[in-house]
Amino acid sequence: MSAGLSKRFDGYLFAAPFLLLFAGFVVSPLVYGFVLSFMRWDMTARLPAEFAAFTNYTEAFGDPYFRSALKVTFLFVLFVVPLTVLCGLGAALGLAAITKRRGLYRAAFLLPTMLNVSVAAILWKWFYNSEFGLINHYTYEWFGYRVPWLVQSNMALASIVIMTVWWTIGNPSIILMAGIQQIPSALYEAAAVDGAGPWQRFLNITLPGIRPVLLFVTIMSIIGSFQVFGQTFILTEGGPQNSTRGAVHYIYQVAFNFYRMGYAAAMSWILFIFIAAFSLLQLRLMREK
Amino acid sequence: MRARRSVRLALALVAALVVLSACKSADLPIGGENLRFWCGFTGPDGITMLRMIKQFNGANPKSPVTMQRMDWGTYYNKLLVAGLGKRSPEVFILHITAVPRFRDAGLLEPVDDLFVGPGALPREDFDDNVLKHVVHDGKLLALPLDVHPMGLYYNPDLLKQAGLAGPDGTVKPPATRDEFLHYLRQYKKVMGPTHWGYAYANLSYDMSNFIAQWGGPMFSDDLQRCTLNDPRNIEAMQFAADLIHKEKLVPTIESRLSWIGFRQGKVPMATEGTYMLGDLVRVPGLNYMGAPLPQWGPQPGTFASSHVMCVSRGLTPERRAAALKLLKHLSDHSLEWAEAGQIPVRKTLRDTDEFRAMQVQSAFAKGIPNLMFRTMVPFDFEFESEFKYAVEKILYATETPKVALDKATENVNRVIARYRADEARRQE
Repeated sequence: MSAGLSKRFDGYLFAAPFLLLFAGFVVSPLVYGFVLSFMRWDMTARLPAEFAAFTNYTEAFGDPYFRSALKVTFLFVLFVVPLTVLCGLGAALGLAAITKRRGLYRAAFLLPTMLNVSVAAILWKWFYNSEFGLINHYTYEWFGYRVPWLVQSNMALASIVIMTVWWTIGNPSIILMAGIQQIPSALYEAAAVDGAGPWQRFLNITLPGIRPVLLFVTIMSIIGSFQVFGQTFILTEGGPQNSTRGAVHYIYQVAFNFYRMGYAAAMSWILFIFIAAFSLLQLRLMREK
Repeated sequence: MRARRSVRLALALVAALVVLSACKSADLPIGGENLRFWCGFTGPDGITMLRMIKQFNGANPKSPVTMQRMDWGTYYNKLLVAGLGKRSPEVFILHITAVPRFRDAGLLEPVDDLFVGPGALPREDFDDNVLKHVVHDGKLLALPLDVHPMGLYYNPDLLKQAGLAGPDGTVKPPATRDEFLHYLRQYKKVMGPTHWGYAYANLSYDMSNFIAQWGGPMFSDDLQRCTLNDPRNIEAMQFAADLIHKEKLVPTIESRLSWIGFRQGKVPMATEGTYMLGDLVRVPGLNYMGAPLPQWGPQPGTFASSHVMCVSRGLTPERRAAALKLLKHLSDHSLEWAEAGQIPVRKTLRDTDEFRAMQVQSAFAKGIPNLMFRTMVPFDFEFESEFKYAVEKILYATETPKVALDKATENVNRVIARYRADEARRQE
């Protein structure tokens, strides 16, 4: 093989293992799912899949449970994304400012992220327990009141948001901290000489300096939040009264409890379109600014 | 020299492997591998089942069984997917209400021959009101292992504190609606307004008990129409909701007292299945007893379920015979299974001193003549999901029983229409 030819194929050769896995485990299920979304197929019906055109999609838009699940998901995204990014940014600023034992504090923030969703959710299920949970122990001792964290419809989603922010804040904090540290200190020194206060320095130097990182963190948080499942599945099983059943949870039920694969695939694609649209919108907004 | 030694060593290893594999093939179980047995017994009942399987393996070295257990939620998904992919375990457990779905998916091999020939199981020994649910088109699709009706757990110490003991100092559990309501009122009166004599422990099961006692059907006889909004069911649900919101004798669902409340010795009465016994045994110092459900409605009735043993399709005659042998062994030894908090479905086993000595199980077994299973439909999961949602709305007082049950009925009827369309396609 000539040197030129070898050079041309080297990249592909190195990328081949990943590309093969990507094609096998991501692209082909995606394509299969897309095809399936136009089919009527109940796994247990002993009938071959039948072409159903857009029936699954029209059913999804008319399904009150899917609409309610989407509403739950949007509410979750609406609260989790800003909270995660803002708290993450606050933590990052704090971590960047700390000079002693920074590694220890960084590890403390990262620790919850290392937990599997099941572990984190079970831990919080105990924290939230109305009768003998850690949190209610103190609310009862201090205020004489036990908060119905997971058992009241208007509290359950908020409780899951709090748990999710605690669980996911580690990654954005570390990424944002790395972004903050990349900003040359000379800029801050010059701004200080010009009389800029801390708030002005933050608005005019830190924020513009970390914009690409902030964009990345926000988009990742949006994508992750749209896919909320593990927390609701373990903490509340979607209840009470379906108030925490998000879209992925409902799709899971339809696919693996009701075995309606075509319909579940159609709902998955609708959710995918929402995630892609929001991510693109976010990308465009941040770029324009 | 070194090369020759290596070759010799390799040859010796190969020879050893050949000898070992020859020895192994002489001991191979029927069909070359162990019989696979799957179940969802992940609690203390799983330990009892494992012990029973080990006993079977000891007695049947030619057809050893490997037991695999996983939680019920995961279990049904894996089992169904394995079955559709033709990788079903030879023997598996289902809840009786899951039988129609697995039957329609073509995953169940009839096991009628268990009742035929030498060493056959005595059919008349099985409770007929359980057995009839696993017979379809005259074929026995599964063998019931147990039956678990709901019952009343009560704490005599707490009831005594509330002055509910008789003149002889013993506490009698409430048997009628009036007695039940009297107990709740008296408990609150004596112990204080924040104390509750009873709490709903399992919302949909508790409501199913009321439905059983008010006698409303869940489906039309031909299973073509959901009748969850039958006036009797609405009345039953109204009674349940009134206990919380009108009578204020049962705590709100938000209080989360439920089963935990009983377990912690805060609530003196709760209704649950015998399978919860394993949970109570582990609580030191808790005094508890079992009783049949009080009669709240116009007729006696107890919601129940049953674990049934199934054999997968397409087995070789030898492996099928081994699978049936396992079913027979587990059925014959289901008194041991009762120790795990289950009730044998065989009358002769219940009619023993050993069983009678199991206070909770034998008390709950009194509900067997009046038990009600959920209707056997292939869309049981969809029905359960709608029913649970309706029950939550009723008990949280988000909707009236009529509105909630009307909506659930409408949704289940949509599911039925879909299944009917599939049925029509199958017949084409």
